[in-house]
Amino acid sequence: MKLLPLIIRNAFRNRRRTILTILSIGMSLFLISTLKTLLESLASPPMTPESAKRVVTRHQTSLANVMPIAYRERIRSVPGVEEVVANQWFGGVYKDPSFFFAQFAVDAEKFFDVYGEAKVQSPEQKEAFVKERTAALAGVKLAERFGWKVGDRVTLEGTIFPFNVETIIRGLVDGGGSEATYYFHYDYFNELFNNPNIVGTFAVKAKSSDDLPAISEAIDQMFQNSTAPTKTETESAFILGFASMWGDVQTLVLSISTIVLFTIVLVAANTMAMSIRERTGEIAILKTLGFAPGTVLSMMVIESLVIAATGGLAGSLGARFLFGSVDMQMMSGGFIQAFTVTWTTVAMSFGIAFIVAIASTAVPAWNASRVPIAEAIRRRGE
Amino acid sequence: MIPVKYNLRSVIVRRVGTVMTVVGVALTVAVFVSILAMVQGIESVFIDTGEALNLLVIRQGSQSETNSFFDREIKGIIESMDGVKSVSGEIIILINQARSTSGATNIIVRGISDKSMELRPTIKLVDGRMFRPGLREVVISKTLSGRFVDTRLGDKIKIGRTAWDIVGIVDASGTAYDSEIWGDYNEVSQEFDRPIYSSMLIRVADEASIQSVKDRVANDRRIKLDVFTERQYFETQTGTSAPIKFLGYTIAIIMAIGSCFAVMNTMYAATAYRTREIATLRVLGFKRRNILISFMFESLLLAILGGIVGCILALPVNGISTGTANLTTFSEVVFQFRITPGLMLQGVVFAAIMGTIGGFLPARLAARTLIVRALRTEV
Repeated sequence: MKLLPLIIRNAFRNRRRTILTILSIGMSLFLISTLKTLLESLASPPMTPESAKRVVTRHQTSLANVMPIAYRERIRSVPGVEEVVANQWFGGVYKDPSFFFAQFAVDAEKFFDVYGEAKVQSPEQKEAFVKERTAALAGVKLAERFGWKVGDRVTLEGTIFPFNVETIIRGLVDGGGSEATYYFHYDYFNELFNNPNIVGTFAVKAKSSDDLPAISEAIDQMFQNSTAPTKTETESAFILGFASMWGDVQTLVLSISTIVLFTIVLVAANTMAMSIRERTGEIAILKTLGFAPGTVLSMMVIESLVIAATGGLAGSLGARFLFGSVDMQMMSGGFIQAFTVTWTTVAMSFGIAFIVAIASTAVPAWNASRVPIAEAIRRRGE
Repeated sequence: MIPVKYNLRSVIVRRVGTVMTVVGVALTVAVFVSILAMVQGIESVFIDTGEALNLLVIRQGSQSETNSFFDREIKGIIESMDGVKSVSGEIIILINQARSTSGATNIIVRGISDKSMELRPTIKLVDGRMFRPGLREVVISKTLSGRFVDTRLGDKIKIGRTAWDIVGIVDASGTAYDSEIWGDYNEVSQEFDRPIYSSMLIRVADEASIQSVKDRVANDRRIKLDVFTERQYFETQTGTSAPIKFLGYTIAIIMAIGSCFAVMNTMYAATAYRTREIATLRVLGFKRRNILISFMFESLLLAILGGIVGCILALPVNGISTGTANLTTFSEVVFQFRITPGLMLQGVVFAAIMGTIGGFLPARLAARTLIVRALRTEV
């Protein structure tokens, strides 16, 4: 396109206006990219090959109800099950309630068999954790945040449970979400609680992900008529259950995005209209020189696209960069595991810019082209 | 002072630009006000709940009724204290219920005693009848009814392993109790095999007794309970709105910055077109200062107009009922979007700030126009 230099020159004719428009569109697309990424991270928890083989068993009525720990052996006997661990949410306070992070009492020995993606720093750490009743594993990000080292004593004050838990960190873990979590022994927890032998959830690992539906059925059938009937679902369904507690957030976010979108088009349209109105005379000259009306129109659309696309890419790439360098997991206390602005989102921003370009240029360009050449040239002084 | 008429006339003459700016600001303010209305709605649930002479006790350190459990005998100890008029022992159970739309969440089921309604006079039965003690019957709050599966009057709802009849609808006037299902204490505790209390609501004789009873409960080693006035207990749950507030304000600020740029754009264009007018004004004797103020006034005018339109656009949102997660009790809290005059004022102020920031630089540029060069301009 030989005309590209002319188009770009035209775009930056009024530098201040163009830059402000780019900034305005940039901020709006930054917002849309962020909201879209937020929706994505709530709607699809990160899946690893390991997590695809796991189901979570809890009391059928509510997560707040408990099951007997004895269920563990019976679940293990279900065909297709490779391993089961008890997983008890502790929900304690470390120094201050605002330092919130996830804490679980787990079956130490088999923990890594079920959560294969969690990696300790050395086999010695793993052994030390399994051997000692009061041992604990801390996520590497937690250790960084609180300045913990292996060998440190950590006390968690009980809120849900009427006792405090005193542990010694024997290892640091990373991977699959464990980097922001604190783990200690289920047996120790049970003892401190005076041996009620109950647990909130079981994490079950299947030999193959194909067996998940069958295993879930089998487990729930097994305990159907007992004092604590169960509900077993895939790990991602379980996590999604929490997201659904937020209610109509999705609708809210979508409505806001729509409004923002509409505002962008408005802003871009305003700018283009001003720009084109100033140039009615020049458009007339171009037509006199022999440029077809179609060419003149596409020049204006491309000019608008250059501005909108620059803004759009700046906004979405800016979002990608910003959230790439900030640790969202730590900032949200573990609620949000991954917050990456995908290339799809960036591409979407480009797409929006394209639509904005066309929508905003249409009317002013149409108006400008309808003015007869002679009158347009006379109007040059405007 | 340049007459205001000048600004008004300019704004009307440059109609298209004016409308675009006003609409842009209006949309930003509408989003801002809606978000504020949502936050206000959630918070007012907790601030409005509680009677002045009621105290709530829960197990020490449990932080909420849902986590709390203690021996029923403790009720006798409290009842015998000086200054205590009546005590209601209650149990809280969470059930997981599917919404009528999609997804599911936890709802609080409260097993109440015969004194419970008395101690909470703002709660009224509005349809059907109260449940009969000894039967698996419940009453449900008006705002929960219909939003979840099986929650209408006459439906049977599964609590524990039995189907309970919904025999009445209650209205808790927008307090936290509007997010609950109520049944007979004995039936609820038997269904879940939990012979304990989650909390007790205490009515004291008079204001002076509040502190003395609180002290006595706190100092009694036998009972290990935390005591709050009913109001205090619910006020601490306003932390639930924290994540939504954070999200909301972030969105609003980003949109505002975008709008500032848009306002700036319009005002720069305005000044560019009016260079000759400005020069004429200067020649007539108006100072740079007057020009600056006049143009800033104009952008302020557009912004405030946009703010008012934005508030009007947001009004339909008022009163919409919805629910979200109460982070303290891990269950559903129902609230209504609430737009107050104070909120709308905040919206307009927000718009004014956008107008001031956006209008400053262009106005300064206008004031700096060199008279000679301006008079020579063709535009």
